[in-house]
Amino acid sequence: MAATGGPNDLSSEMELDAFRRLFPLRFHERHLTESIRPDGRPLGKARETTLALGAVASAHGSALAKIGCTTMLAAIKMEVMTPTVETPDEGGIAIDFHMPPICSPLVRPGRPAELAPVISKQLSDTILSSGMIDLKELCLVSGKAAWMAYLDIYCLDADGALFDAALLSAVAAFSHLQIPVVSLNDDGRVVLVSEDNTVAMKEKEPVNKERIKLTLNNIPFSLTCVLHKNYILADPTSEEESIMETFLTVVLDSSFQLVSLNKPGGPGLAHTSAIQDCIKLTRQRVKELQKILNEAISDMEVD
Amino acid sequence: MEVERKDGRGANQLRPMDHSRNVLNRAHGSANCSHGGTRVLAAVFGPKAGTKKNENPEKACIEVVWKPKTGQIGKPEKEFEMILKRTLQNICILTVNPNTTTSIIVQVVHDDGSLLPCAIHAACAALVDAGIPLKYLAVAISCCLTDSGQILLDPDKLEEQKMKAFVCLAFPCSVHSVLPEGSATAGGEPVAHGLITSLTQGVMTVDDYFRCLAQGRAAITPLSNILKKKLQSQSANNQSIAG
Amino acid sequence: MAGKSSSTPATYAPSVSGQKKRRPLIQADSDWVRPDGRSFHQCRPAFLRTGAVNSASGSAYAEFGNTKVIVSVFGPRESKKAMMYSDTGRLNCNVTYTTFATPLRGQPPETKDLSSMLHKALEGAIILKSFPKTTVDVFALVLESGGSDLPVITTCASLALADAGIMLYDMVASVSVSCLGKNLLIDPVSEEESYQDGSLVITCMPSRNEVTQMTVTGEWSTPKIHEAMQLCLDACSKLGKIMRSCLKDAASVPQD
Repeated sequence: MAATGGPNDLSSEMELDAFRRLFPLRFHERHLTESIRPDGRPLGKARETTLALGAVASAHGSALAKIGCTTMLAAIKMEVMTPTVETPDEGGIAIDFHMPPICSPLVRPGRPAELAPVISKQLSDTILSSGMIDLKELCLVSGKAAWMAYLDIYCLDADGALFDAALLSAVAAFSHLQIPVVSLNDDGRVVLVSEDNTVAMKEKEPVNKERIKLTLNNIPFSLTCVLHKNYILADPTSEEESIMETFLTVVLDSSFQLVSLNKPGGPGLAHTSAIQDCIKLTRQRVKELQKILNEAISDMEVD
Repeated sequence: MEVERKDGRGANQLRPMDHSRNVLNRAHGSANCSHGGTRVLAAVFGPKAGTKKNENPEKACIEVVWKPKTGQIGKPEKEFEMILKRTLQNICILTVNPNTTTSIIVQVVHDDGSLLPCAIHAACAALVDAGIPLKYLAVAISCCLTDSGQILLDPDKLEEQKMKAFVCLAFPCSVHSVLPEGSATAGGEPVAHGLITSLTQGVMTVDDYFRCLAQGRAAITPLSNILKKKLQSQSANNQSIAG
Repeated sequence: MAGKSSSTPATYAPSVSGQKKRRPLIQADSDWVRPDGRSFHQCRPAFLRTGAVNSASGSAYAEFGNTKVIVSVFGPRESKKAMMYSDTGRLNCNVTYTTFATPLRGQPPETKDLSSMLHKALEGAIILKSFPKTTVDVFALVLESGGSDLPVITTCASLALADAGIMLYDMVASVSVSCLGKNLLIDPVSEEESYQDGSLVITCMPSRNEVTQMTVTGEWSTPKIHEAMQLCLDACSKLGKIMRSCLKDAASVPQD
C-alpha cells in the first residue's frame, strides 16, 4: 500500500471494506457528515425492534426482545421465600444478566464478561427504583410466605445497546408473567394447585386466586445514544459503540419521568443541549416501545 | 420548606474536604481523600508495558480495582470500577503512553455517603502524584432530591437512604488556558460545563435533573479551587523537601 | 430441602400438592405410553435454522419439541497464548445451560461432561488440518432442556460449523434411543429419560456411513442393542437430510 498521501487520499482508491477496517473513525465520520449511518439509518432512528412473549415454556413469564441484531431472552421463575422481618408483606425480585460465550466473540467461557455484572446492577436499580412493580403484590401470607421472582436475562447476540434490549425483554417478561396458583399445606409449605387434583384439595383454599397477574405501573423504557462531536446517534451497533466511545443512556417511564440518566465517563463530554436532545429522542422511543409492547401483549391474548 | 440536616449544614454546604498525596511508599502515586466521614485511599501503579486483551494498543489502558471496606467484590463494586475507569479515561491523555497499562487501586476506608465523588478525587490526586499526563482534573459532586423537591449537596449515608432520588455528577475542573477564550468552548458552552459522568438513582422529573445539574455545576468552581490549591501546596512542600 | 440461612433468603419452588409422581410400574407385557403421544419410533418434529447469532462466524438454532439449543461457532481464530504450536487446528467446545432450562431453577446437569462429549462427537468430522495453529470455538447454550439434550446439541453444532464454513468430512447427525422395559423409544423426552433402563446415543456422518461417537449406558441385551443401533442410524440419515435442506434453504435466500 502506498503510504504517500494521508488516509484522505486513499479513500477514493481503497476498497470500501478495507477502508472501514483501517480507518474506522474516518469511515463513520464521513457517513455522519451526510447525516446517515453505515446501515442506512438516519442518526436519530433506532433499529427495528421486535418482541415475542412466552418464548420459554419452562418459566412462569418470558420474552424474547430483538433490537436490530441484539437479542435478549428474559425468563422469570417464581419461588417461595420467607419475607424479612423489616418487610413482612413484601416479596422480592432478583435480577441477573448473563452474557454466555455464544453472544459475542469477545466473551470466552470461564471468564465472565466485564460488562455483565454492570448491566445486571443497572437493570435491578432501574427496575426496582422505577416503582414498576409493587413488591406488596408478591406477598402470599404476611410474614410467612412471599414470592421471590428470579429474573434471568440472557444475551443471545450482542450487537450494541445491550441495556436497552435487556430492559425491554425484562419488562416484557414481567407483563407476560403468570403467577402460579398455590395454597398452604398442613406443614406450612406452599404447594401448587394443579387442575387435576383440585377435588382432593378442595378444603385448601388457594391463597392467591385473584392475583395471578402483576399490575405494572410506570413501565421504564430506555434509549442509549452515542455522542460524537456534535452528533447524536441513537441506538448504536457494537461497531459504533467501539469506535465512538462516549455514550449516554436515558431511562424514562411511561409518564416521561426520568428513572435514570447514566453517562459512565468516556472520552467525550456531554453538554446540556446534547442531554436535552437525548431526552427528546428517548421520549419518542418510549412511545414506540410502548406500542411494540402493547402489540405483543394483545398478540398473546389472541392466541 | 427548608430541610433541617442532621449535621446542621445548609442545603448547599459541603462537608469538610481533605486530601493528602504520597501516602504510600511502594506505589508510584497515591492519595488519601476524605469528604466528612467518607474516606478513600487510592494507589497508582504504572504505566506498565503492554495492554490487556481486547484493549486498543494504540492508547494507554487504564485498569481500576475497587476494594470495598469489607466483604467480597460484587456487582456494585464492578459498576464503580467501570464508571471510575471510564471517567479516568476521559481525563487522562491516553496517546502519550500507548500500549501501556496504568492500574489504579481504590480502597474504601469508610463509606458515609457520596462515595463515588470521593473516589474520583482520590484517584485524580493519585494520578497527579504518579505524574500521569492529564488533560484536566475531574471534580465530582453528588446531590439528593428530597420529597419536597429540595436539592441537598454532598449527602451523607443516612440522607442518601432517605432520599427520593440521587444524582452523582463529574465535571472537568475549570482550566486556566493560555489559548484564546473561544477555543475553550464547545457548542456555545465552556468545556467546564460538559459532563464527564452522570449517574442517577430514583425517579424524578426531567426538570429536577437539570436543577441538580445546575446546582452541582455551581458548586464545582469553589470545589475545584480547593482541590487545586491542595495539590499545589503539596507539590511546593515536596520540592522544598527534595531541595 | 430449603435450608434456613441467615443472609440470603432461602427460596424453594412450590411443588405439586398431593402425592409425588412415581415411576409407573411397567409390567413385562404392558407398553409404555409416551407423554407426547408419539409412536415409539417417531422422532419429535425438528426445527433447524442457521444464522441465529449475527456476531458469530456461524450459528444455528435447533428446536426438538421442548429442547431448544443455540450454538455459535467462532473462528478459526488465534489459539490461546499458552498453547503449543500445532500442525492441525484445535477444537474447543463448551456447553452451558440457562438457569431456567430445567424445571428446578439453577440445577443444570454436569456441563463439563457434555462439553467433552460434544468435542469427541465433532472432532472426527472436522478437517482439522485445514486450519493449522488456530482454534475453532463451538459454544452451545441450552435455552430449554426437554430431553435428548446432547444429541440435539451435537446436531445443532454440526449445522453451525457448516454455517461458519469450517471444512467438514460430512455433517454429523445424532439421535438417542432409550430402553424402557421391553420398549425402545427414539428421541426420548426428559420424563422418559428419567425412567429409562438404558440409553444409546449414536452420532454419525450419514453420507459417509461412519459413526463418530456411540455411547451405551445402562442395561441392554445384545439383540436390543442391534435393534437400537439400526433405529438410530436410520433416524440419523433422515435427520441428515433435514439438515442438508436447511443449509440449502439458507443459501438460496438472497443475503441482504
